[in-house]
Amino acid sequence: MTVTAQSARAARWPAVRPWLGVAARLGLAAVWLLAGGSKVGDLAASGRAVNAYQVMPYDAATVIGAALPFVELALGALLLLGLATRLAAGVSAALLVVFIAGIASAWSRGLSIDCGCFGSGGQLAEGQAPSYLPEILRDLGFLALAGFLLIWPRTPVSVDGWLTGDAGVEDEDE
Amino acid sequence: MSSRKGQRDSARVVREQLARERRRKRTVWASVAAVAVLVIAGLIGWSVFSGQRSTEFTAPTGANEAGTGVVSGSGPVTVDVYEDFLCPACKQFEQVSGATIDQLISAGKVRVVHHPVAYLNRFSTTQYSTRSSAASGCAAEGGRYREYAKALFERQPPEGGAGLSDDELVDIAAGTGIDRDGFSSCLREGTFKPWTEHVTEEASKANVTGTPTILVDGRPVADRSPEGIRAAVEAAGR
Repeated sequence: MTVTAQSARAARWPAVRPWLGVAARLGLAAVWLLAGGSKVGDLAASGRAVNAYQVMPYDAATVIGAALPFVELALGALLLLGLATRLAAGVSAALLVVFIAGIASAWSRGLSIDCGCFGSGGQLAEGQAPSYLPEILRDLGFLALAGFLLIWPRTPVSVDGWLTGDAGVEDEDE
Repeated sequence: MSSRKGQRDSARVVREQLARERRRKRTVWASVAAVAVLVIAGLIGWSVFSGQRSTEFTAPTGANEAGTGVVSGSGPVTVDVYEDFLCPACKQFEQVSGATIDQLISAGKVRVVHHPVAYLNRFSTTQYSTRSSAASGCAAEGGRYREYAKALFERQPPEGGAGLSDDELVDIAAGTGIDRDGFSSCLREGTFKPWTEHVTEEASKANVTGTPTILVDGRPVADRSPEGIRAAVEAAGR
């Protein structure tokens, strides 16, 4: 708890940052667990959602659609534990960039689909218009969380912290 | 600076370097483990899905050649109707424009292919979309797809619940004049579940992203009212 002891004297940012990091990590973990959990029960629908973007052959879309929910759940678990946080944040950021690009491309091609982000199988409910802009803004928000963790991956209460010892306490091993 | 202090300092530097090296190694191993977890997760998803997927299907009597739907009529213009028995808008379409479709069929103007897709399984706790579509296959086998479909829409359960039970699906079939025992065993054996999967996959391949979707000679019809359907059929028949 050296971090909190120092914080009394130090500027506020160094004291607040680790806890912002925890919030970002757990927030992003929740996003992935929800996204994966909502799709994992119907993998065929997940494949249809990928196929609805019309960017790859149907068979490729079903493979991606089947694999994606499990990868999302695994990312969520890694972030929840705080294991390999920087790597998990990097993969999260990459996935989110792909999602944003996909939604933007569906929008620009005038497709009328749901993003399928949280398990809708890609089809819009009756009378529902596509909401591409809110979906993109939401994903940009998630991307910001991932970006924060890419820059400052060390957060309290994480397996990373436990594995490498508390940063800044150099002689702890003695 | 005394030499003893120098020694202490250099010993400390070495210790720190060793500690840093240890941390670096642990970070590398943590990353390797994380990558392995992600890759394995993806492979699990793929293998689970491959395991769920059926490879062979039997289309019911009266299905089109590709086995993607049930044919009524033999007119020059082809109308494709993609419907999910749990979809409220499909029920509405049936109630508003179903009679028009039937008139066009009996007037010999159209050949209608009904595709009972299972898009909305996540909106019931019992995979009602799949179960009702497979049941409609059993009805088609008995030559009564349309009658059964209409009865299913009439008794459409709300989204989010358990849907109709198998017993209820059998009762509805019996009510439309289908042989109860034959239908019941067809339904309970899941005879047409692989067919439902095929119908659904092919619909997705055809970029049908919602239900109901109506195609007239392959072109989507936006206006699903009786007038809209008639106009689209007239235009295609010209």
